[in-house]
Amino acid sequence: MPDNWSFVAAAYGLALVILGGYWRHLVRKERELDGKS
Amino acid sequence: MSRALGWLVVVGLVAGLVMGFGVAPREAAQGNVQRIMYLHVPSVLVAYLAFGVVLVASIAYLTTRREAADRIGHASAEVGVLFTGITIASGAIWGKPTWGTWWTWDARLTSVAVLFVMYLGYLLVRGMVDDRERAARYSAVVGIVAALDVPLVHFSVYWWRTLHQPPTMLKPGPSTMPGLFAATLMVNLAAFALVYVYLVTKRVRLLRREEEALA
Repeated sequence: MPDNWSFVAAAYGLALVILGGYWRHLVRKERELDGKS
Repeated sequence: MSRALGWLVVVGLVAGLVMGFGVAPREAAQGNVQRIMYLHVPSVLVAYLAFGVVLVASIAYLTTRREAADRIGHASAEVGVLFTGITIASGAIWGKPTWGTWWTWDARLTSVAVLFVMYLGYLLVRGMVDDRERAARYSAVVGIVAALDVPLVHFSVYWWRTLHQPPTMLKPGPSTMPGLFAATLMVNLAAFALVYVYLVTKRVRLLRREEEALA
C-alpha cells in the first residue's frame, strides 16, 4: 500500500491547528483579563 | 506550576512525535499512513477521560452546588470537544486511503458524531442561559445524559457490524499489538493526557478570573 504521507501530514497538521488555536485563544483571554485588572 | 506543566507538555509531545515517526516501524499492511493511529487513538481516549470528568463534575455540582465543580465540568467539556473533533477529523483522513471513504454512517462513527454534537449542546446550553446558576444546573444535566453515549461509542464495534476495527486499547485480554507500536501509543497517550490537564487547568483558572471580573 502506498505511504500516503500527505494524509499523515494533514491529520497531524489539523490537530496542531485545533489545539494550538485553542491554546492561543486561552492566552489571549488571559492577556485581556490581565489588562483589566 | 502552570509553566512547568507547559514544558512537560512540550517534552511529552516531542517524545510522542519521536516515537511515532522515528522509533515505531512502518506498518506492513497499511504503510506509513498507520502512524495516524498515534494521534487518533490517544485523542479518543482523552476525550473519554474529559467526558468522564464532566460526568463526575456534573454530579458533584448538582449535589453540592459548588461553583468549582461547574468550572471543571465546563473546562473539561470544552477540551473534550476539541479532542473529539480531532478524533473525527483524523479518523476521516485515515479512512480515505484505508477504507476508500472519508465517512460512513456505521455505528462507531455515528455514535462518535452524536457524542460530539451532545457536548457541543452542553456548551451551547451554557451560552444560551443568562442566569449563571441555571446555566450550570441545565448543563450539568446535559453532562450526565451525554456521558451515556461514551460506553455506546466504545462498545459499538462489538454490538453492531461496523467498518471500524475493534478497540486497540481498553479491551479485555492481553494486547495483540507488537511492543513498539504499543509503547508508542502509550507515550502519545501520556502526552495527550498532559495536554488535557494543562488546558483544563488553564481554562478553569480563566473561568474563575472571568467570574471575579464580572462580580
